[in-house]
Amino acid sequence: MTLETLEKINNAVKERPQELADARRKGRKVVGWFNYNIPEEIIHALGLIPVRLGTGGNDRLVEIGARYISTKNCVFTRELVGLFAENQDPYIKNSDIVAADATCLQTYRAAEVIKHYFKINIVILGVPRNFSLPEGQEYFEKELEFFTKKLEAVAGKKLDTNKLAGSIKLYNDIRKSIKELYKYQAISKSTIKWREVFDVVHAGFYLDREKYLSLLHELLGELREQHGEPVIGNLNGDARILVSGSIIPPGDTKLINIIEQVGGRIVSDELWSGLNPSMNIEIREASIKGIADGYINRVPHAALPYLDLETDGRLKNLKRIINDHKAQGVIFHTLRFCDPFTFKASETKDVLKKEGIPLLEIHTEYAGSDLEAIRTRAEAFVEMIKNKEIQEVEQ
Amino acid sequence: MSLNENFFKYPEEIKPEFIETEDIVFRDGSRISAADIWHFMTEEAPVRYPYAYTNNRYYGRRLSGDVRLPSSIKHNYLMLTMNDRTSRARENGSPIIFVQGGQSVDPYYAAGGIALRPASTGAWARGKEEGLNLREEEMRSLDVREKARKAISFEICQTAGYEHIQEGNLPVDMVAPYLCLRCSDVGYGVEAHRHGKRKIGLFLVDFPLDHQKEKEWAAGYLARNLHRLTREIGKMSGKEVTENDLKEEIKLHNKGRKLALDTADVWWSASAPPTNGADRRAIFQMGGMELHGDPNASLTVLKEANKDIKERVKHSTKGEGVTDNARRLFVGGSCVFPNDFRTEEAGGIIVGNDNHWSDISTIVEETGDPYEKLARAILSYPYEQPIEGRAEWTIDQLKKSRSDGFLFLYNWGCNTQSAIARMLCDIIHEETGIPTLIIEHEMRGEQTEQLQNRVNAFIEMLN
Repeated sequence: MTLETLEKINNAVKERPQELADARRKGRKVVGWFNYNIPEEIIHALGLIPVRLGTGGNDRLVEIGARYISTKNCVFTRELVGLFAENQDPYIKNSDIVAADATCLQTYRAAEVIKHYFKINIVILGVPRNFSLPEGQEYFEKELEFFTKKLEAVAGKKLDTNKLAGSIKLYNDIRKSIKELYKYQAISKSTIKWREVFDVVHAGFYLDREKYLSLLHELLGELREQHGEPVIGNLNGDARILVSGSIIPPGDTKLINIIEQVGGRIVSDELWSGLNPSMNIEIREASIKGIADGYINRVPHAALPYLDLETDGRLKNLKRIINDHKAQGVIFHTLRFCDPFTFKASETKDVLKKEGIPLLEIHTEYAGSDLEAIRTRAEAFVEMIKNKEIQEVEQ
Repeated sequence: MSLNENFFKYPEEIKPEFIETEDIVFRDGSRISAADIWHFMTEEAPVRYPYAYTNNRYYGRRLSGDVRLPSSIKHNYLMLTMNDRTSRARENGSPIIFVQGGQSVDPYYAAGGIALRPASTGAWARGKEEGLNLREEEMRSLDVREKARKAISFEICQTAGYEHIQEGNLPVDMVAPYLCLRCSDVGYGVEAHRHGKRKIGLFLVDFPLDHQKEKEWAAGYLARNLHRLTREIGKMSGKEVTENDLKEEIKLHNKGRKLALDTADVWWSASAPPTNGADRRAIFQMGGMELHGDPNASLTVLKEANKDIKERVKHSTKGEGVTDNARRLFVGGSCVFPNDFRTEEAGGIIVGNDNHWSDISTIVEETGDPYEKLARAILSYPYEQPIEGRAEWTIDQLKKSRSDGFLFLYNWGCNTQSAIARMLCDIIHEETGIPTLIIEHEMRGEQTEQLQNRVNAFIEMLN
């Protein structure tokens, strides 16, 4: 059974660079952004076009980026710099201004490097490390006010509360739809795979957001027709894997391919390029304060340190997603020199062990030299999960 | 030649002159005479800490051969007594706080704590085991570091004393560094303690980023962080910290900062370097008042050093081991350094460094709300500014120090300093024409030939 909307989404993504170029000719401005805590609602409400930047999996671009930033920075950061250096990516070429936040410190520094070498206009949003304390939250609100003023100057207009309310509603609907899509891909004999949903999420980095929501509704309609309401019940003998850890941006298919090739079924992710941005975000009022509170209180990114293991929102979120999608094991993807995640790998493993969930850390880069080593480890992990399930059934 | 044969010894003929020099006065009001320091450094310490007396040219931390500089001997005395003094202070009720390096420690001391940065915890830990030669000490150090790498990540650049704290070797009461751009690993390292086998007080002093010195709200935010910090330390030390306590502490630390700036001006103005690189580094760094775990003791030694440097400059006395027309290098980057002695052998000398200088060169305003003034000063540290701002300040330091070359070193796995290396060096080179070199550095007491080869080749090129 095929899903026609997926084809529509693919086509829309192909057409998007031309659409952006046309929109710019008509005077619209495009805001390309990277890192993790940029509230698109504000960009959208100001009539600017948000586009999320960054790709992965291209060793050539990593090499180009390393001419400007160090080999001690993760490959995603290096490739990001390489993209700007090469200036062939249609979304980078079409960005009038680039926004970045100070969540991941390497990417934050990359923003400075990009600004200096490639003369890109960059606006930065500060993010507090003490994000759960009142003073940290007030600081973030002030930063967001400052950030918004800079964007207002680009847009040539003030932020309008009614338009902001409309944007909040739009983004809430997008997030709700994505969460719904994740349920469908996790059901038994689903007509949509996690990988396809992951691609749909990435399509949302580029497409016009109203059009994107309409496509999401259409896709969900098709799925509802085929499966009714999604019920994640029968495990059906699959080795159900959740992928967590460092970012897996569009273009980086190395680990995903391997997991699927060795017979694992990815049923969810806890990635900032996947489900995470849609999780646990509640915007209570159409104001900068409302947006600031919503973003700072959502699932924290691993780059933001949190000192109490028991109440850590990141780990709670991970456990919730594992439970909701009935994952049986976690593959924790860490990029070399991605300290926010590599530093937490063994701790996360220990935490999940107590829940009976095994975790395999795959530490890698974009080069192909470790493909077979990863394949062996992933295969053994998938086999272990399948054997465990058989043993449980037999018992 | 065995290690024992290549052993450093202070010559007996300098004793009469040295024992006439000033006492070191400690924070608790106690003091030690130069005669007692001499006894410790020549009789006691060589037995307790043989590794420190190793004259191996590859050992970057070896004792300075400039034996006629009393402050050099006193600085080494304070380093070698770190364990004795810190352990005693803690037994007497002073909480020990682990902090970030290159930052002001005024609030920690105002609240009755002792602030120790990673290198100081290293010195404290080294003092815990006696009788080790250099090889044994290096093996011990690598062994404990491996525990931290296993517990956190093998990509950690420096383990920030994690292993000592978690193994219970060092009775640290709280881990409470400023977070900032200089080292992201310290932030993640603090968090790692939450999963350690020992429960320890954890605290983050957030250091907001991006043009922070121009933002009122950033200063307000940091000031509130500092308030919380002094309150929390005060709970441990039993001290109710008043604004006046912090004001007085700022005044004391400003004395150190100003004295270090004055000393640097004199040192840099000399026709020939008045000390070798190792002594220069120690003297300048004393202005941060955090080097020895006792700000008052550091200040005493710095005052004496200031006088000695002025005297040497007046008489055009050159530091021991410095060659004629030595090429002057300024070092930027992570908390690592090339081997001063071997750099001097190759015809160079390190005349300055940005880490542990950016905070010292920032004087805190002494009037008004001390928390706010301190926060504003902290947020204006040049090292922590956007790269272009840091480059501007570094260029100024290169000019003041009359540097011939700029060496940027970053530690293996130091993602934040490595990220800016290329851009900082490019700006400096474009603006000044001064040659620059970027080197990745492995953090060890004995340094590799490959690293020094590159430094030496750079010096040769400058010639």
